Amino acid sequence: MSRIADWFQERLPVSGVQLAELTNEPVPNHLRRWWWCLGGTPAYLFVVQIVTGILLAFYYQAAPETAYQSVQRITEEISFGWYLRSVHKWAATLMIAAIILHQMRVYFTAAYRKPREINWMVGMCLLLTTLVIGFTGYSLVFEQLSYWGATVAANICDTVPYVGVYAKQLLLAGETYNENTVSRFYILHAAVLPATLIMLLVIHIGILRLQGVTELHFEDEPEDGPQHFDFFPDHLYTEVIAGLVLMILLSVLATLFPATMGPQADPLTTPEIIKPEWFFYATFRWLKLFSGTVAVLSMGFIVFIMFVWPFIDAWLVRVTRNEDVSFWIGIVGVFLLVGLTTWEALVAH
Amino acid sequence: MKLQTKRTVIGLLGILFLLSLVLVQAMEVVRRRQEAGLSTAHVAIPAASKTCIECHGQAAQSPGIVDHWMGSTHAEKGIGCVQCHLAKKGDVDGFDHYGSHIATIVTPKDCSRCHDREYQEFEHSHHAKAGNILASLDNFLAEKVEGFRAEEGDHHFFNPHSPTPGRPDITEVNGMSSAFVGCQQCHGSKVALLGKDGSRITVDELQPDENGQPTNSAILDQIVKNDDGRPKFHPGSWPNTGIGRLNLDGSLGSCSACHSRHDFSPRRARQPENCGKCHLGPDHPQKEIYEESKHGVAFRDLKDHMNLDSKSWVLGKDYTQAPTCATCHMSGNSRNKGRVTHDPGERLSWTNRPPVSAVMDTDADGKLVKETDPDKRRALVAHTAEEKRSEMKQVCAHCHTPDYINAFYKQYDDFVVLYNEKFAKPGQAIMAELSKQELLTKVQFDEEIEWTWFYLWHHEGRRARHGASMMAPDYAHWHGMYEVAERFYMELIPQAREIAAHAAEEGQQEQADAVIKVIEDILARPEHDWMPKKAAGD
Repeated sequence: MSRIADWFQERLPVSGVQLAELTNEPVPNHLRRWWWCLGGTPAYLFVVQIVTGILLAFYYQAAPETAYQSVQRITEEISFGWYLRSVHKWAATLMIAAIILHQMRVYFTAAYRKPREINWMVGMCLLLTTLVIGFTGYSLVFEQLSYWGATVAANICDTVPYVGVYAKQLLLAGETYNENTVSRFYILHAAVLPATLIMLLVIHIGILRLQGVTELHFEDEPEDGPQHFDFFPDHLYTEVIAGLVLMILLSVLATLFPATMGPQADPLTTPEIIKPEWFFYATFRWLKLFSGTVAVLSMGFIVFIMFVWPFIDAWLVRVTRNEDVSFWIGIVGVFLLVGLTTWEALVAH
Repeated sequence: MKLQTKRTVIGLLGILFLLSLVLVQAMEVVRRRQEAGLSTAHVAIPAASKTCIECHGQAAQSPGIVDHWMGSTHAEKGIGCVQCHLAKKGDVDGFDHYGSHIATIVTPKDCSRCHDREYQEFEHSHHAKAGNILASLDNFLAEKVEGFRAEEGDHHFFNPHSPTPGRPDITEVNGMSSAFVGCQQCHGSKVALLGKDGSRITVDELQPDENGQPTNSAILDQIVKNDDGRPKFHPGSWPNTGIGRLNLDGSLGSCSACHSRHDFSPRRARQPENCGKCHLGPDHPQKEIYEESKHGVAFRDLKDHMNLDSKSWVLGKDYTQAPTCATCHMSGNSRNKGRVTHDPGERLSWTNRPPVSAVMDTDADGKLVKETDPDKRRALVAHTAEEKRSEMKQVCAHCHTPDYINAFYKQYDDFVVLYNEKFAKPGQAIMAELSKQELLTKVQFDEEIEWTWFYLWHHEGRRARHGASMMAPDYAHWHGMYEVAERFYMELIPQAREIAAHAAEEGQQEQADAVIKVIEDILARPEHDWMPKKAAGD
């Protein structure tokens, strides 16, 4: 063994001790609590998406005339195809849910405050990238939802003054949905956006490592005890447990509620009811509440406000001399998000 | 949580995850086996039917029907023998059988206990009324011309004219055999119980109420029964699964005409062979026409990709490769929200059954509206031919553009109108004039021209129109209009002229002139102008 270790040491001059030091950062005590240690969940689900996505890509054919049939073949003919597609779909749902919950946790614990403003903005980029991956993902199935969802999204882009028409062309690879649209979505979904996500994740975690995790203290914790514990193996075990629970949950969801297929995309038949996936319900309802340009610009404005919230929060605290002002605004925001989502889910139009 | 506890939890969760993968593997194996036909779905035998399965499943009984049932959706859902064969006390064909009161024939009214929507649609359909043939020209052919039935009463036997060696039991000839075995096996028989005097006791005698139970109790004593109390069916009327069967409970039809008992396979009902039991032959070769069309060619090639075993079978959702008879005339599609109809006439805009094709405007009962006055007609029509055509166009639109579909219908309309105007209406006018002038006897098929006219519209005319309706060019032309034209010019017109000439010779000059005038008026029309006047059947 020693000779093999020496052989590697000679060619890769990194010692185990150095590796342990590199990874074994002290972890704040609050991460011992289960509900506070789920920041790694979206990253874990992202890995699941990469693995299942690669396997699905072996059989998926990105062209309007073959996309639906290839997904149908994956679902009904290929061995374990139904399972992989169902896991991929459920992991996407859980990943978006996990990111939203993670962002809420960061917001309500004010973990975005100085000096972590930039990481909050990187996190916002991660959220938006994930949502676009979700959108391009369900567009690939080429069912009615895919086609009309993309058409509606393109029309929404078109309402933006000056740049809207270019955004629409960028999205659809032309003036209207055409033979290049599906392949464009596919390249975005399977290559460009995941690469972007990985890059953003590296930055996000890099900044986190540089600045350290925001430390939270609970009343029941002893003041004089150790404030940190080891990443390896203690926290790693926690992450492995979370990962295994997620895998079991995904397996259960995939077998009990496997991914189905809607009617094939039909440009000649506009469905009576067009709805995006659940994570766009709030946005969709908002867009329906106002006229085109107003709705889109106001939505863009809300996203911009979310982006720069750390700076707005600092200004609000300075002006109001109240540390909790953002907390109450956040409560209103969450009610708005849940309310709009529920509203959209309950009504047909 | 201590490190050791975490390790234990990881170990347990790891095992649980591996078990979930084993479950996934097991599901995959089951799916593969079912797909390959190596295993059947779970069968639930309801307690009430357990005895039936045990007894009929024995080799000495009828294990085939049990096996068929085992492969049915009914078996999966726990619908057993008794649920379908169940009879109410007072049902004329009900009898006690090992603890259950059952009937042999399961009628659409019985099926409606669970499938009421399908029953309602079917009872309004032309299929359900197929038994009306019992008073038609076709039936006259089978009963009288091909067989024998006395003018009065139900007598239809005659004596054999020489012995049949080896069969001394053949002492009489059943003149209704051709009707029983031919026409009625598709169109449906009038189901009859055997009367003590050998008579047939049918729905006409029983006069059932809305629950299907007889109101004429006086007739019940006349029914022949076995020792176990089972009523005997008249052998001419049963077995029969004709689509327009006239049942003892007053309902029309037989669901098993299309949904073969006892597996009631949706896969089979979706395939053209299922319809081909009846829709083939010289007078309505829809099956052959379909096979010649591009639709039929595509089906033969792509059948394996058409999801025929799928529970849901919606065009545009579950398959798109090719349409079958069911696809166009009955099945759901993604444009009509998957709505299946059991009235195959619901999407037809022409009826090509009669001598002259008619526009399929139907009344509230699904009957063809024949009124010619536009205002009165409008008041009677509940479902227009145009609406029916729109429903068919929804099917077409899954593969064809609106321009293509409209252009097809233009070609089809033009063809039907050409047949109607050039041959059918003139032929009908000539035959009507011959009858009006009493140059034909009242008896059908005793004169050559009646056979000629029957061939023209009933065989060749229908082949032509059906060929056009389903895009089979050879049937539209060579098996169709070519033969219609040949029959019209080379047989119908000469035979009509000959009848007129004979009439003139026998002193009926006025009648002969009337017929000749009708013929000459027809032949003077521009569409018949291609033929030198001397040759036109002269």
